[in-house]
Amino acid sequence: MAKSNVLKVEDLHVSYGPIKALRGVSIEVNEGEIVVLIGANGAGKTTLVETILGITHVSAGRIHFMGEDITHKKTEHIVASGICLIPEGRGILPLMSVMENLLLGAHHFKGDPSENLKLIYSLFPVLKERTNQMAGTLSGGEQQMLSVARGLMSAPKLMMLDEPSLGLAPTIVKELFRRIIDLNRAGYTILLSEQNARQALQCAHRGYVFGTGEIVLSGNAQKLVSSSKVQQAYLGGSCE
Amino acid sequence: MEIFIAQLINAIALGSIYALLVTGFNLLVVVGGIFPFAYSHIVVLSMYMCWFAMKVTGNSLLAGILAGVFSGTIFSFITEPIFRPLAKRQAQLGSFIVAMALALILTEVMAQKLNMGIVISIPQNLQGKEALIKFGAATITAGQIATILGSIASFLGFFYLLYRTKQGRAFRAMGQSPFSARLLGIPIVRTRIYSYIIAGLMGGISAIFLAMAIGTASSSLGDNLALKVMAVAMFAGVGNLGGGLVAALILGLAEGMVLAYLPGDWSQAIAFGMIMIIVMIRPKGLFGTMV
Repeated sequence: MAKSNVLKVEDLHVSYGPIKALRGVSIEVNEGEIVVLIGANGAGKTTLVETILGITHVSAGRIHFMGEDITHKKTEHIVASGICLIPEGRGILPLMSVMENLLLGAHHFKGDPSENLKLIYSLFPVLKERTNQMAGTLSGGEQQMLSVARGLMSAPKLMMLDEPSLGLAPTIVKELFRRIIDLNRAGYTILLSEQNARQALQCAHRGYVFGTGEIVLSGNAQKLVSSSKVQQAYLGGSCE
Repeated sequence: MEIFIAQLINAIALGSIYALLVTGFNLLVVVGGIFPFAYSHIVVLSMYMCWFAMKVTGNSLLAGILAGVFSGTIFSFITEPIFRPLAKRQAQLGSFIVAMALALILTEVMAQKLNMGIVISIPQNLQGKEALIKFGAATITAGQIATILGSIASFLGFFYLLYRTKQGRAFRAMGQSPFSARLLGIPIVRTRIYSYIIAGLMGGISAIFLAMAIGTASSSLGDNLALKVMAVAMFAGVGNLGGGLVAALILGLAEGMVLAYLPGDWSQAIAFGMIMIIVMIRPKGLFGTMV
């Protein structure tokens, strides 16, 4: 069965002044998929997800979301149309309570946010215990859960996670990837950017491998894991 | 004792006005992302508008109050585009320079063009100098009571907005992290414009209370107030909304008491001396620079 296209990025070019951060990147994300972007630091993964959200200016190329052209739309309209980004470094608001952080995630949600809260508390019971605690006092892993939960508050049609495993202990990272798979099984479409290539590929359907500012390889996640090129470059394979 | 209580009430009224001004100032720092030196000048300009409206309506109180509050709001709102490019780049120092330029221009306009540069005197009926409460030799005036009650009402409204509404949540998110706020889909430009409007509204209200308390206004009042507001903000920790309120009340009390009990006018030296000492001991201000 052909699944419908959620996100389609075509020949995207982005520059920071004279530096070309993205040079003709094209990716697709279909409904119900986990798609992973892997690549070294500075390869352009963060630039890509931030450009999709309308934070960075597009020099050339097109971005379509649910069939609609969002290339030059403002971030607030893109968020309102159903994309959320769980940013690198989590981006929680440390001096606001867990509850307030969650409610901020529902800034554009039209309807009763308490339904979303119920779902989130069942996924992340620890957040329920800490509802009134200042978000800055949570542990790193809990803050990452809060950041994901806050994204869920907007009932997104596409969740983008940028380096969610960064700075987390290996056991927490394992749990995080399990949660990402759970979310996907619950129906969420996910675009994941990760340096932690092996674990990310193991939970994904498809993957794109970034060189510097461009995609050098793409395809089925299982095939990418076993590809010798990927193993050498990103999975700690032997160097020539 | 009666005199002391009367002086205390006077000082609290003065402190309430400073508190309103500092709160508006801090809102522009936190949400607007600028250093709004010209905020006090806009307030003084609103005092002129209040005076003018009363003059042309035969001293109508309502016209004066509406003109003052409305001008504060509008003037603040129309300065937003001037600062927009700087706020976008988070160039606070740049915004300080631009705000000083704006302050100088406003001061000269008031000095050259408004009432031919002559000090304006606020009509008696707005000043509210009649004694509302008398005990012994001391009196508490209608103006003082109106200032204190009006300020309390304004603060209740403001802090309700800030801590109990969706808009307030957006304000605080912007203050803590403009980047995160943007990711969450908070409309940055529109939220900043709202902060100018709310700060302008508070400025307009304080213009009325200032008119009551001082009874006159001149072009130099803007600089005078701007220095105090800036100093109180630093005393508390720039951008600290709750702290600014407390610090403003402290300054008002200090100034009021110094004026009442020390010979000559040492109020500035003592107020600013306190601030210098605090900033030496706690460089981030008494309560720190937190939202």
